[in-house]
Amino acid sequence: MSLLEIKNVSINYHTNDKTVYAVQDVSMNVDEQDSVGIVGESGSGKSTLAMGILRLLPENIIETSGEALLEGEDILAMDTKHLQEVRWMKMSVVFQKSMNALSPVHRIGYQMEDIYRVHYPNEDKKVIQDKIYSLLKMVNLPERVYMSYPHELSGGMMQRVAIALSLIFEPKLLIMDEATTALDVVTQTQILNEIIDLEKNMNIARIMITHDMSVVASTCKKVVVMYAGRIMEQGLVNDVLVNPQHPYTKGLMSSFPSFTGERKNLKGIEGNLPDMSIYPTGCVFAPRCPFATERCHKEIPQLKKYGDNWEVACFQSGGTSNE
Amino acid sequence: MRKYILKRLGSGALVVLFSVLFNFVIIRLAPGDPTRLLAGKDNPSPETIAALRERFGLDKPLLEQFWIYFKQLLHGDFGYSYVSSLTVWELIRSRIVPTLLIAFTGAFLGLLIGTALGIIAARKKGSKFDMFMCSISYFFDSTPSFWLGLMMILLFASILKWFPTYGMYNVRQNYTGMAHVLDVAYHMVLPVTTLVLIDIPYYFRIARSSILQTMSEDFIMTLRATGMSEQKIFFKYVMRNAIIPTVTVFGITLAYMITGVAMIEIVFAWPGMGRLMLDSITKRDYPTLSAIYLLLSISVAVMTIVVDVVYAWIDPRIRIE
Repeated sequence: MSLLEIKNVSINYHTNDKTVYAVQDVSMNVDEQDSVGIVGESGSGKSTLAMGILRLLPENIIETSGEALLEGEDILAMDTKHLQEVRWMKMSVVFQKSMNALSPVHRIGYQMEDIYRVHYPNEDKKVIQDKIYSLLKMVNLPERVYMSYPHELSGGMMQRVAIALSLIFEPKLLIMDEATTALDVVTQTQILNEIIDLEKNMNIARIMITHDMSVVASTCKKVVVMYAGRIMEQGLVNDVLVNPQHPYTKGLMSSFPSFTGERKNLKGIEGNLPDMSIYPTGCVFAPRCPFATERCHKEIPQLKKYGDNWEVACFQSGGTSNE
Repeated sequence: MRKYILKRLGSGALVVLFSVLFNFVIIRLAPGDPTRLLAGKDNPSPETIAALRERFGLDKPLLEQFWIYFKQLLHGDFGYSYVSSLTVWELIRSRIVPTLLIAFTGAFLGLLIGTALGIIAARKKGSKFDMFMCSISYFFDSTPSFWLGLMMILLFASILKWFPTYGMYNVRQNYTGMAHVLDVAYHMVLPVTTLVLIDIPYYFRIARSSILQTMSEDFIMTLRATGMSEQKIFFKYVMRNAIIPTVTVFGITLAYMITGVAMIEIVFAWPGMGRLMLDSITKRDYPTLSAIYLLLSISVAVMTIVVDVVYAWIDPRIRIE
């Protein structure tokens, strides 16, 4: 059994006059100690998927279907009380804007203590403080951070605080939503290396949401490529990023410069994301796809096995059907 | 923190000092002459006017007048009113308590009710209650206080006869002790209600929008993700972050309290500072006016400092020197 099994999850936003199909029919697995990168351009639904799994979307305007089994329990169907017990104990999250990750008017240590008490309300203050100091040390932060306010730290330090906070209960699953995107590359690399060390020691599986292919390539085992709310291709980083099968993945890869290859013009992908409030009749990528045939516009391609741990949703890829 | 407070105190004292000078000059630059008004007749004799000018010291050069005034002030002496035979201090003393009575009660109730309603509306954003409160707040917000006061008198005093139409106490009965207190409270109901109705929309909208804004901050998402209950997030984290704009508005209201309810005082014939100020303006009662403005500027300076200190206490980001 996988740590996290996402089965046919769809998430729609309802606004006054229309429905936005933000995530459609997404299925993926995260094993223990796995590291999965979810990539895609802005609006591809990758953050909505993560926030949906964390149940952090405004529930009055969204409609979710499918299952997200965390150690066999469906998060999407949990009642509030049980959800609050599971949160942070089994899965935690690091957000992009870590400068705002904590309340600006309370001391960092105080907030971490308070969060610790959410799950261990009667724990001794000394024990909690020791735990927090050791966490701060683990992410290479000085002790003074405990008594500091968020505005007194730099972006990189706050990111470390957010990471320390996310590890406070040693969760099984850590979701990083664009967690290092706002940092400079040097700090980003440092922090990513630290995380990889930490998760080895603590047996943590990580989902990394990013639009930075190089981050995925260097820190993840598996990659999920999303476009317009759907998975286009998923598999091992070594397969998918080396020999992409889906035209969209190919397009994404040619949108990034390569260090080793010859200098050539970056291509990018022609066209824009489709209107997500219109339910597609065919492949969502077909309007921008250079290889699209008549069938692509009429029928939605399902994910098909292309190899071991490798799935592609394209009629052209020539994989074998799952069914 | 101490340095922060000392700095604020210093700038507050400077503001008061400047406003003393400024008010003194501005009042005397304004058109109109107290001696002409006091002399009364259509064509007062130049002798009367000259006598009055000499008596009030208005014949001396402006700078000398200011010096005399300033020396008096340092002794805590506001001088005599031109119009009545009382000292300015006696005049103000009799008026300031009634004003503070209705202004503070009104501001305090407005703060409590408005903020409470704002909190409820924000927590139930988009609900019928929220929409009702939002639309009615615009109604009361655009209502002039004197008109609302008049309507209150018309409805509750003239037609329903529940409350007195004017004044602070019943002049026919010389109530004493508890009866007097109750009588004043009874007279306070309409003016205070008017003030509260005018104040509520401010506090309502500020509390509501500030809470909604705080609720959309990223750290609320973090706290939710940790499994913290909505109750705790709201009362411990949202409130402290959202309260600053309310503190500002309440502070400003308190600062202008001594003259800020002049309209209501006039409509309800309430013997307060606002009316004293307007009377002093029409009669060019320089000493009284100067004293009122001085008190106002002290009150504004003090309240600004208080608000600044409360700010810094709530929000560490403001403490930066």
